Amino acid sequence: MPSGCCALCIEMLKTEELQINIGPQHPSTHGVFRMIVTVDGETITDLKPVFGYLHRNHEQIAEQNTYLQNMPYTDRLDYFNSMANNHAYAMAVERLAGIEVPERAEYIRVLMVELTRILNHAGALGFLINDMGMWQTQLAFGMREREKILDLFEAASGARLMCNYFRFGGVARDLPPDFVPKLKELLVAMPAFVDELERLLRENEILMQRAEGIGILPRDLALAYSVTGPVLRGSGVPYDVRKAEPYSVYDRFNFDVPVGSVGDVYDRFLVRIEEMRQSKRIIEQIIEQLPDAQGGHINPKARQNVRPPVGDAYARIESPKGELGFYLVSDGSTRPYRYKVRAPSFINLTPLGDMCRGYKVADVVVILGSIDIVMGEVDR
Amino acid sequence: MAIERGNVIIVERGRRKERLPGSGLLEGMAVVWRHWQGSFRKNRSFSQIHGTFTLEYPEERPKLPEAYRNMPILLYDEETGHELCTSCFQCQRICPPQVIHMTQAKDPATGKPVPAVAEFVIEYDACMSCGFCAEVCPFDAIKMDHEFELSTADHGSLTVAKEQLNRPIGYYERIAPTMWAEVREQALKKLQGNIKRRPGVLGMAPNLAEKIAARLRELATTAPVEAAPTTPPGPSAPAGRLSPEEKAARLAAIRARNDAAPADAPPPPAPAGARDGHGEPAPSDVPPAVNPADAKAARLAAIRARNAARAQEQAPPEPPAPPASRARTDEPEG
Repeated sequence: MPSGCCALCIEMLKTEELQINIGPQHPSTHGVFRMIVTVDGETITDLKPVFGYLHRNHEQIAEQNTYLQNMPYTDRLDYFNSMANNHAYAMAVERLAGIEVPERAEYIRVLMVELTRILNHAGALGFLINDMGMWQTQLAFGMREREKILDLFEAASGARLMCNYFRFGGVARDLPPDFVPKLKELLVAMPAFVDELERLLRENEILMQRAEGIGILPRDLALAYSVTGPVLRGSGVPYDVRKAEPYSVYDRFNFDVPVGSVGDVYDRFLVRIEEMRQSKRIIEQIIEQLPDAQGGHINPKARQNVRPPVGDAYARIESPKGELGFYLVSDGSTRPYRYKVRAPSFINLTPLGDMCRGYKVADVVVILGSIDIVMGEVDR
Repeated sequence: MAIERGNVIIVERGRRKERLPGSGLLEGMAVVWRHWQGSFRKNRSFSQIHGTFTLEYPEERPKLPEAYRNMPILLYDEETGHELCTSCFQCQRICPPQVIHMTQAKDPATGKPVPAVAEFVIEYDACMSCGFCAEVCPFDAIKMDHEFELSTADHGSLTVAKEQLNRPIGYYERIAPTMWAEVREQALKKLQGNIKRRPGVLGMAPNLAEKIAARLRELATTAPVEAAPTTPPGPSAPAGRLSPEEKAARLAAIRARNDAAPADAPPPPAPAGARDGHGEPAPSDVPPAVNPADAKAARLAAIRARNAARAQEQAPPEPPAPPASRARTDEPEG
């Protein structure tokens, strides 16, 4: 409530709360996403996220398909991180059917997912700055680095976005001969890019005003909402699936887990910058260890038409947006009986109302941008 | 929480040193200024972050990696004129959006299936370019094309039949030399084996009219009994584009036939009947004696020209089923 000389006037005025819609068609909602915002003047008293506008029956379609046929569909969940989606799904099916993955294939997989993390954060930070009103500058720099990584993906898998690169028991094909030299070139540019991003924005007064102390998600609330990924680490919880439950070959790499201390937009921003550095560290270790890795790019015994025994399996990975899990139930046929996606964007979006309450309308798009959602994954 | 092989680091929030107000903005502007300066020269090196990385697209073409995949194509061997596809239905089965449809060629004399494909349709508009079809193909007949400029105002033209899918092996060898070199030997070996099992001109690429004519002449000299319809394949099947209705009807016919899936040699559809939208060949729909003045016949003539090569396959005079013989009688007029 305002104070001072206005207080008397406002007491005499009759005021009421106003409900406004942001979205579903709004340029800053990152897709078709609607927020029912209750405002008292400029201040938000309540916010209800409404999703489902992009629902396309993903899980139901997957139950009609064979296990392998679902692989290209997982690309389309979080279309920024198709490699990470492939990894989680492939791990779930391998766990269900008991398929071994050769060492070299594991290294290639981790390499691809870490590259995905860099490109996702480069894009996500660009869009966050875009939402703050610094139109396209950082986005263009981030997209340039992202395009270089997509070039590598294209050379390895054949496609830039819908990679469809992972197979049960490995990856679709081995790395092309010019992949690693190009990757080494890219790693030369990567610290320069991250340092420049920090110089450009980290101490930028405008960004600090828009981000510091905005959209605070306290640690307890973050845990209660089971938020994961950079949003949870920004709130100060050092939880990373790669460390908590090391899957694939993550137990062989040295890397740090960055966490924030306040849990505001600025902390999430800084955590993502640091995660890009850590991903680069992991990739350097992969390049060192890859030539010694045993086995080919795919398990030769793995068959395309898997028929897992009756049972269920859950596999989770640390996708760039958080914990991505696939839960599969097999009835012994070639199609999954139940197929469930634990989508990080979806769960990270649920505390949006609590994060926005008490802030101004203009902060909503910034807070939403700092969660880093992709509606393709939220609605499925 | 204890962490192995790494630490938990708390990100530094504060300003790193005392600064004048606004110096963060000025430093950011210096970064933008350096990028602006760099934008006057081209740069393609991955190790650089300054310079322009863009292409002047229609004039400058991107160099696509060999593995690049966009849409599936079918290969044929220029030397023998034979298609590599044997209609084993592997790609049709694996296709996640189920956009591949095909029918197997049948020996017109015996009605037995032949390792060759009669009709092959891919709905490009619903294809998700996953590349599974190329991966599972045991004969390396289906491969992924590098052509990406497919936009068109005619939606129906994105349902693509065999005539437009066919590419010579040399084309694929040019766009993906090492990938073809890996499979070349086994693919050609399997093709040689399949050619031996293909009677007449079955399985030959319909656009190779001279090859088909040469083969027919060869057949005529060796086995004169089979050489009844030695008419050369007319206007050489110019791989013309089908109208949308024709494609839809064709697709419906293939689907209906595959659903029914009788093992006893289902008759190939008379193109005229299918085009009229009845979905299945109804002999009464085909005019028995075609009057050239008839408007309908004029439309049929175009289709017949395209189908001439395919109709040749059903050449021998013994009629296994009435519609097949009708297709044959139609052919010399086209």
